[in-house]
Amino acid sequence: MREIAIVGLDCRFPGAADARAYWELLMRSGDAVGRVPADRWDGAEFSAPEGGDGRANTDRGGFIDDPDVFDNEFFTISPREAAAMDPQQRLLLQCSWRALEDAGIAPASLAGSDTGVFVGIMGNEWAHRHLTDYDKITAQVGSGNGYCMTANRISYHLDLKGPSLAVDTACSSSLVAVHLAGNALLSGECDTAIAAGVNVTVSPALNIFYTQAGLSAPDGRCKPFSAQADGIGRGEGVGVVVLRRLEDALADGQQVYAVIRATAVNQDGRSNGLTAPNRWAQQAVLEAAYRRAGVEPAEVVFTEGHGTGTELGDMIETKALGALHATRADKPMALGSVKGNLGHTEGAAGVAGLIKVALSLHNRVVPASRFAVRENPKLNLAAKGIKLIKAPLRLAAGTSVAGLSSFGMGGTNAHAVLASAPPQAVRPATVEAPGTAGGVFTLSATTPEALRRNLLAQAEELDKRRVPLGRLCWTSNRVKTGHRIRFALPAEDISALSAALRAAAEDDDLLTRHANRPTGRPKAAFLFAGQGVQSPGMTMRLYRESAVYRRHLDAADAALRPHLGWSVVELLTAEDQKVHRTGSAQPALFAVGYALARTMEEFGVEPALLLGHSVGEYAAAVVADALTLDEAARLIAARGRLMEALPDGGGMLSVFAPEAEILPLIHDEPLIGVAAVNGPRQTVLSGDLEVLDRVALELGEADLDMRRLTVSHAFHSPLMQPMLAEFAEVARGIAGVPRLPFYSTVRGRLLRPGEPLDADYWTEHVSAAVRFADAAEALLAAGPTHVVEIGPQPVLGGLVRRLRPPAGLRTLHPLPTRESGRPDLGALLAQLYQDGLDPHWDALYGEEQRTLTRLAPYAFSDAHRFWVKPPTRNGRSGLTVTTAEAADGSGGQVDDDHVVRLAPAGRAAFRGRVAEKVAAAVAAVGGYSLDELSLRSRLYEDLGFDSVTLMELKKDLEKALPETGEVSVPELIPVLGSLGELIAFYEARSDVAADAASLA
Amino acid sequence: MTQTQDAFLVSLGTALPGDPVDNAQLAKALGVSEEWIEVFIGTKTRYFARDFATGEVRWSLADLAASAGQRALDAAGYGPAQIDFVVMGTATPDTLMPATVNHVADQLGLDQVPTYQLQSGCAGAVQALDLARTLVAQTGGTGLVLGGDVCSKHLELREDLGEAAPSELVNYVLFGDGAGAAVLGPEPVGEAVAVRRVLNRLTGLGRKPGQVIEWFGVADRHSDKQAVHEDYKAIEEGVPVMAAEILWELLGELGWEVNELDYLLPPQLSGVMTSRIVAELDVPGATEISCVADTGNNGNALPFLQTEKLLRQMTSGQRALAVAVESSKWIKAGFALEKL
Repeated sequence: MREIAIVGLDCRFPGAADARAYWELLMRSGDAVGRVPADRWDGAEFSAPEGGDGRANTDRGGFIDDPDVFDNEFFTISPREAAAMDPQQRLLLQCSWRALEDAGIAPASLAGSDTGVFVGIMGNEWAHRHLTDYDKITAQVGSGNGYCMTANRISYHLDLKGPSLAVDTACSSSLVAVHLAGNALLSGECDTAIAAGVNVTVSPALNIFYTQAGLSAPDGRCKPFSAQADGIGRGEGVGVVVLRRLEDALADGQQVYAVIRATAVNQDGRSNGLTAPNRWAQQAVLEAAYRRAGVEPAEVVFTEGHGTGTELGDMIETKALGALHATRADKPMALGSVKGNLGHTEGAAGVAGLIKVALSLHNRVVPASRFAVRENPKLNLAAKGIKLIKAPLRLAAGTSVAGLSSFGMGGTNAHAVLASAPPQAVRPATVEAPGTAGGVFTLSATTPEALRRNLLAQAEELDKRRVPLGRLCWTSNRVKTGHRIRFALPAEDISALSAALRAAAEDDDLLTRHANRPTGRPKAAFLFAGQGVQSPGMTMRLYRESAVYRRHLDAADAALRPHLGWSVVELLTAEDQKVHRTGSAQPALFAVGYALARTMEEFGVEPALLLGHSVGEYAAAVVADALTLDEAARLIAARGRLMEALPDGGGMLSVFAPEAEILPLIHDEPLIGVAAVNGPRQTVLSGDLEVLDRVALELGEADLDMRRLTVSHAFHSPLMQPMLAEFAEVARGIAGVPRLPFYSTVRGRLLRPGEPLDADYWTEHVSAAVRFADAAEALLAAGPTHVVEIGPQPVLGGLVRRLRPPAGLRTLHPLPTRESGRPDLGALLAQLYQDGLDPHWDALYGEEQRTLTRLAPYAFSDAHRFWVKPPTRNGRSGLTVTTAEAADGSGGQVDDDHVVRLAPAGRAAFRGRVAEKVAAAVAAVGGYSLDELSLRSRLYEDLGFDSVTLMELKKDLEKALPETGEVSVPELIPVLGSLGELIAFYEARSDVAADAASLA
Repeated sequence: MTQTQDAFLVSLGTALPGDPVDNAQLAKALGVSEEWIEVFIGTKTRYFARDFATGEVRWSLADLAASAGQRALDAAGYGPAQIDFVVMGTATPDTLMPATVNHVADQLGLDQVPTYQLQSGCAGAVQALDLARTLVAQTGGTGLVLGGDVCSKHLELREDLGEAAPSELVNYVLFGDGAGAAVLGPEPVGEAVAVRRVLNRLTGLGRKPGQVIEWFGVADRHSDKQAVHEDYKAIEEGVPVMAAEILWELLGELGWEVNELDYLLPPQLSGVMTSRIVAELDVPGATEISCVADTGNNGNALPFLQTEKLLRQMTSGQRALAVAVESSKWIKAGFALEKL
């Protein structure tokens, strides 16, 4: 038996804006029934206590709040199109997005997948209103209505290519949709399925029908199985569940609310009247579901009944249940129905029950059923093996089995058997070492305003309930991605994170620091530091905290040990001062540089350009595949050993003057030379100490600033000469060519294609000057976006900044201070993520942290409302668009130069007649106000234009700008990138026309 | 009372607030001698929920206990729905009402379950364990056991303590804040450590309390009563004797030979007192598991902190015995653990 897992859900029901509120409503036995809101219809006009022609007997029901609110911009749907859309389509879109996030899926990651969409729906009231107003039918009104479009919209906007269909079996629609979704999963038609139900009432027609048929409760409330039951009250709602095959859900580490063991659907056939329920068919559908699920009726702990609260309906439903459960009188089955809280949500009734059952199994408690306290004695429930759920029912530990019924008028019955999610395997506790608990919290959004809103939503959720920080961050890296503006914040403490999210939402400077709208992917240059940056115990905090770094440093240590006879890791762990001796410093720095670079690569930070300062070139060469790790280990060990063996008496002098000014002064000194040119005014001399002293005097006389370096030997000087022959012997046979652009500090330039890093190169490297400034300038000219320094502490970043790099270049270091560890590595990844990199986040987290947890789903904007004037007798509809003014009265804007900031858009941007006309036409066709448009607005992506609206725009512009003549579609297509481009096109067209006119 | 059915420790979590405060910082803030703390108390660091620099209270007891509880749940891989009851022991609840345990439950998303809070000093965590063990054995349910204390109310950072009464002064240098939590269940899963026995016995008939913490309300808030009082002479004298009795009573009831004991978790009064008690208990074959020198005496968090240390080294078949004494009204407490 293969089971279906409910892995994600979201909903909106009367009195409950989301799933959490829904559960709270149920647990407090809340009553969500109220008067008909004025925007649905006029309760007074369409109801009278006694009913009568064209009247309902009640002006009450379960209505959701704000059915008119829709974040059209998020889905890039123009206001005009949004206004023409059935609100059921809009609610489903938002709910589906949130349910997918709840399932631990970044919705955009499903694009192109075979994900199926199954929507249960029975109310088409919006269409009845709009498709009969013949004069006002537009293309948008056409696609804005119809059952099919509810499912197809979801598939379209999320780019889902699996089955997509709407189901109408009256009140059982959404459970039948779940049935079809489960079958599609089990048959392999799709791997993920969205199953949903929706019901928004904008017409009193069904209320009048229920009244005329004698089924309408005068107080608008369903009172399931109660002595007070007197008919149906109508309710609204939308609910979405995300379904997977259980084995797939578990394999993908998704959290499971509950499993669906089996579903069954049947029909009354030619029963006792078309609309009457049928006891035998109901019994048969229960039996079929139990059989398929492999459960005995006695195993079913509780059932969420259909429970409309009509005398006949309750009677037949309990008789059918009783036929199967009567024998368990000593341990009766618990029965309830959510209709007592919400009313009958019709097309959404099945999914309302499904979400209630799933949450009950998940929370191990079944909410009390409203009105159950006064049980209907006529139902004789005790004899049927049934008890009503009069108080919350705590479920036993382990697996509980539950049933769920949904029956449709007209005779299509559905039943589902659900069970608790399988228990997670208990792992022995792992005590987290300090510094390994946190991660990087990420969020993405389409606009700065949306980002702020969602930062606050996440902060609120964090304040409500504790979640493990590592899991929270990892989940955010997986789920909260895909939008243009990227936010990232390293986090080490949950309450500090929540405070920081709030602060970023409220402070533009902070937001700018942590968020960015990248225009491309980063092009990173790795700069490897040379001797001088070493220190006892360097990088050991990172070694303790990051398993990835530990692995790579251990690998370098293992490669070096045969050549050294001692361990770099042991040297560093012991914080041995010996690290400053060149025989130790060179291999230790090589090991650290190699391990840091490999760590970066494992995190997804790939170098596009490489440069190494002096011995830094060894690790750079390994990353460039010009040396193997073993070759480099052999060379660097020998290099350090031979240099340390050279006699003392050498020194180095850093002079703050250009190389050219110094050269004449040392021209006749064969025992010293230029060791490094680190910048336009930063030159290092190296060689014999006595000669250096003499030169220093001369330099002093020339008023040049200088600093003596603490070194054991005169590196990169003529004094290295005695070791060259032996080193060349060690290097013999080395002949690698870098596979990446390699900016050689020996040559002071980019190596030419095929130019090797061979034995001669490395031998020359020993005494050659380090031409850092030239090499780095050449590297900067290649246009990296980021310079990532590889070494135990920053030094090259400062040198690079003195070369006056192009504005916008970021210099980063994984270990900015000596105390740096894993959190700083996280900070570096956070910055690169903001700037467009998609890091391999997994490497940042321990295995136990790489587990999904549920985050607050996306918080949609409530700034825009789309509604219709309520119906009157023989009235006509009229679409309206209202935009709630944003608090600061401005739209969010993103400028191009890496900075997220708010700038009021506006009509000022459109100067000149042509620009004004084009902007006005775009605004009119899309239904935008001019304030919502900017030159950067993209017609497809931001404004939701399509082939239909495009033709309209073209026609409008031909009228508004007659001099431009007829513009063909092929002419127009290339200029639709942004509004600015479109305006430029029409301006040019208009100028040509003017020129032609002046010539004539 | 016979104890027949075992309960099992599934997972454990602890929480210590902020960064450790060392003796130099403490001595400076209180105007007492650093050397005095080292020699007479022997505690090196402790943690405070009140920020030592700013005086701001950063965490409540509920925050710390929920943080520990969340770690324990996470280590077990359990969601809130897997927990059937919660028991918490503390001497220093955030408020008298609501009981702190219910705020902890709220933070952890726990609802519709029985909760208990036991008002007790250093024996509170053991009492909570005792009640939890009984509930597990009787109901087959899984429970969350919590213990913790915070002294924010009493940590007045004034620099004239050099003149305070010794019975008051000692409290400032002894205590710290923290919380711990454990998941206890009917099956040997997760850590799979059996709780073989729990001892909880009042022995204070007619005895003057060794320690008193007052609480004040509107009518007596300005009274000049000392808020915290410690009869450290009586404690120095009484606790070692009681500790030895607890050890031998538990061993006798369990039928364990003293040489079968792998670990000893002694009472954690202070670095100095704990060493003295361990020396008197004289169980050289058992490894001592103590934490007070690093964590300070944080009351009902101690048994959890010790057990956390224990779990890092305990291997299958090993046995441990914990001894705790509440010197307020002289309560003997202890428990025995065995890893499967």
